[in-house]
Amino acid sequence: MDSGRAVTVRVDDAHVYYRVYEDPAAGIKQLFASGQAGRRYQTIRAVRGVSLDLHESETLGLIGANGSGKSTLLAAMTGLLPLASGTILGRSRPSLLGVSAALRSALSGRRNILIGGLALGFTRAEVESRMDGIIDFAGLRAAIDRPLRTYSSGMRARLNFAIATARIPDILLIDEALSVGDEDFRARSAERIDEVRSAAGSVVLVSHNMAEIEGSCDRVAWLDDGVLKALGEPGEVVAAYLASTSPR
Amino acid sequence: MSDSDQQLVDLTRPSPPTVYLAEVWRRRDFAILVPVQDLRAQNMGSALGQLWHLLNPALMVAVYFLIFGVIIDTSRGVDNFLGFLIVGVVWFHLTQRVVQDAAVCIPRNLGLIRSVQFPRILLPAATVNGQTAAFAPALVLALAAVIATGERPSLRWLALIGVLAAQFVFNFGAALLVARIGAAVPDLRQLLPHVFRLLFYASGVIFSVDAFVTSEFWRRAFALNPIYDVITCARWCLLGEPVDSWVVAGMLAWGVVLLVVGFAVFWRSDQRLGA
Repeated sequence: MDSGRAVTVRVDDAHVYYRVYEDPAAGIKQLFASGQAGRRYQTIRAVRGVSLDLHESETLGLIGANGSGKSTLLAAMTGLLPLASGTILGRSRPSLLGVSAALRSALSGRRNILIGGLALGFTRAEVESRMDGIIDFAGLRAAIDRPLRTYSSGMRARLNFAIATARIPDILLIDEALSVGDEDFRARSAERIDEVRSAAGSVVLVSHNMAEIEGSCDRVAWLDDGVLKALGEPGEVVAAYLASTSPR
Repeated sequence: MSDSDQQLVDLTRPSPPTVYLAEVWRRRDFAILVPVQDLRAQNMGSALGQLWHLLNPALMVAVYFLIFGVIIDTSRGVDNFLGFLIVGVVWFHLTQRVVQDAAVCIPRNLGLIRSVQFPRILLPAATVNGQTAAFAPALVLALAAVIATGERPSLRWLALIGVLAAQFVFNFGAALLVARIGAAVPDLRQLLPHVFRLLFYASGVIFSVDAFVTSEFWRRAFALNPIYDVITCARWCLLGEPVDSWVVAGMLAWGVVLLVVGFAVFWRSDQRLGA
């Protein structure tokens, strides 16, 4: 298992649980019948005992069905979700690619670049020195002073991507990033992702696009219902995953 | 275990307070510029636009002026009741808006918290900065109104800077505490307007506590209310209303205690917010 390269993130027997409050359709009658007055919740065991190492200049693919815990594992790696047990060690804090949650639809694209950049940890001066580069990369020169709510969803996605990739972290987590924009932008963003990959220490890529996973990952991890089902060569793991999902 | 493993740190533990504060300082632009942008966005759809930041406090003062200055007379024991009232209302609303907004700053930014890693204390800090900036026009209006009621600026007015600083510290501490509680118990935001309605009467906003309360014990009990302390100190600065040392001590003590407790509570739970 030792690839000889330095470990950047070590996930050791990580368990992530969270509570989901139920919204029962029950009326007064059922309330009395069940004898429960409080809110009921279910504990979702989204990630159960996952262990894996991420190495320097490695791209790890993360695949699995919807709801298998991929995004939850990424969130736990950034420290966004607490672990129920286990540990996650890292040489620096991994970051998810994307700032769409910081953007304000009432404000112009230019002001949103400032807000998004600040959310990513730039200072005002740092954002301003990168402003033109971000606008040009997003291809939004003509629309940059219009409010964000007048943008099409593709334009929004391009802006989000352009801001998010302006800062390249040491450990980058990408959750389905390449499906944005038109053909032209997709080609440019694939290029940018490669740049990001070569600059970042390590990358974790979540995708349902198996061609992309096989094309760009050094190793692939397959999550199934919160458990690590396979970890290894992209070709083998993807083939095993596809075999398990294909209708017989 | 190779040598490089030694550099790995536990990502699920909060960073020590000094490292945390250094990171907050490095990212201070976020807490200063984002609320300013949000204030702009607030009134963008309205016909009068940014003018509302001035009109809103002006209308608030005008309504109190009409009801308590013209229609009802509650001026017992106060020389310049109108000035007294306006200072009370404006200063009370500053703290109310900061604290009520802080209660929702975590739930409102859940999407951001779940996708971007940053010290969460920047969110209540942005709330305090934004509401304090929004308060600036009301402050200017209050000063103008106080002069209009016959007061003349004196050196005593300079002490208002100290009162505002103490109130800022107190508001910040309260915002940290309320933001933490509001993140765990969203019901707090329903409760707060009622708490503030109670505080409104317990802070002597529209009447003079000194004129109604004669017992020394109860006057000191009022000094335990930090909003009363701040309002009373602001009135001393602008109107020359009496203030005793208990009130000043109360204002300063609340500020320091709330800031320390608020920071400790918030920092400890930083990584669990939004989970």
